[in-house]
Amino acid sequence: MKEKYLQIFGIALTVFYGLFVAWIYIAEPKNLTELPTKAQETIEKATTTAQVITNTYEIDRTKFNEGLTAFRNDNFLVARDSFAKADPENRDAKTQYYIAYSFYRQGFGKVSNDDELFKKGLEQVNKVIQLDKNFKSDDANLQLKTPVELKNEFEEGLKVTPSDFNPLKVFRERK
Amino acid sequence: MENTPINKSELTDSNDFQIVDGELLDVSSGAEIEQFDEEKTIVHAKNQKPKTKDQKPNSTNQKTYLLLPFLFLTVALLGGLRFSSPDNAFVFLRPALVCLIFAAILLFLFARANLIKLEGWFSEDFSSLKNAANASVIITLFAASVQVFNSLLPERGFPFWVVAFCFFWTLWNNIFAEFDTKKLIKSLGAMFGLAFVVKYLVLANLTAPANESWLKSLWENPAQEFFTNIFDLPRFAAATGYVQFFTLIFYLIGLFLLPNSTKK
Repeated sequence: MKEKYLQIFGIALTVFYGLFVAWIYIAEPKNLTELPTKAQETIEKATTTAQVITNTYEIDRTKFNEGLTAFRNDNFLVARDSFAKADPENRDAKTQYYIAYSFYRQGFGKVSNDDELFKKGLEQVNKVIQLDKNFKSDDANLQLKTPVELKNEFEEGLKVTPSDFNPLKVFRERK
Repeated sequence: MENTPINKSELTDSNDFQIVDGELLDVSSGAEIEQFDEEKTIVHAKNQKPKTKDQKPNSTNQKTYLLLPFLFLTVALLGGLRFSSPDNAFVFLRPALVCLIFAAILLFLFARANLIKLEGWFSEDFSSLKNAANASVIITLFAASVQVFNSLLPERGFPFWVVAFCFFWTLWNNIFAEFDTKKLIKSLGAMFGLAFVVKYLVLANLTAPANESWLKSLWENPAQEFFTNIFDLPRFAAATGYVQFFTLIFYLIGLFLLPNSTKK
């Protein structure tokens, strides 16, 4: 083989093998059977990142619809999982709003709210505001249409006020 | 062609002290010269070097640009690999910053002891491609050196700092010592060998097995349990030592095969 071709092949070998070594240390597979799974995850992540860079990023519609169905059936854990899979880069305000709303609906209580879920919901709704501060939901089932309203609901739910001890509170409805 | 010999006595008689010892050639026609040149060309063609000697540079190139990067990158891959105990799962440990510093000092030592002649690896006389290919080999050597230190340094705790200090002390002294390639290789072999023994024989034998309960371990192996906790020793499977042994061997083979120059 000519020296020139050997050098080109040597550089190519070094680059590919070097990238493989670097990838192994980033992916940290636990055994050999985990290698294909980790490789697939890396490819998916790289594809999504490339879509974001080239401005062609779109959410997974199938997963989103699965999440919406679960959300409407009050199956919030499944709903959040599906929404997260639909928008792995957390860039779609609509999907992120549904995740925040799921924290509200799951954490809502007639006597007392679940503070943990409300805190997570507050963090999530702040992300939605960062993504799109003018976002407004077009879903007729959601009474709180904007992130600001939802944020207010979370903040009020986390506060301890005299109205919390009002026995009539048990008649309030989930929005 | 006619040869006219010079008579020495004639030159001496004419008081010329410059003595020229030679023969004058009287060239008569161009046709004869052409014939002579043709003959010379034929003879030259017959005296070609044997094929086996011509193939030697090619095999050297294969070794430099294919085998060495492969060996060094294999060392880079395996140097941080450990097997957790008791399930033998892979654990890939990224090198500590100190490993990069040690590897940089080591490369400086290689250059100082002429194991690598910089002018023989990078030169303006070389093509860009050759310089790039040489750079890729040197980068793999650096990566392998980093991972060898990652392999030989204990992972954490008191032993990490003791062995790291010993490495630093040896490398720092070597910077100022008079060196040649053989001495450097011997010194490195001794240093790496000792570090391997300390980590994979001494410290590994002081480590209590991971699959036992704390109380059982304390009852059955009180000394090991004591040293494991006092030195914060990680509990790895025995396979780790075997893999790291071959990693070290690959690295030393790579150093042995590394040419100090790529100039022909």
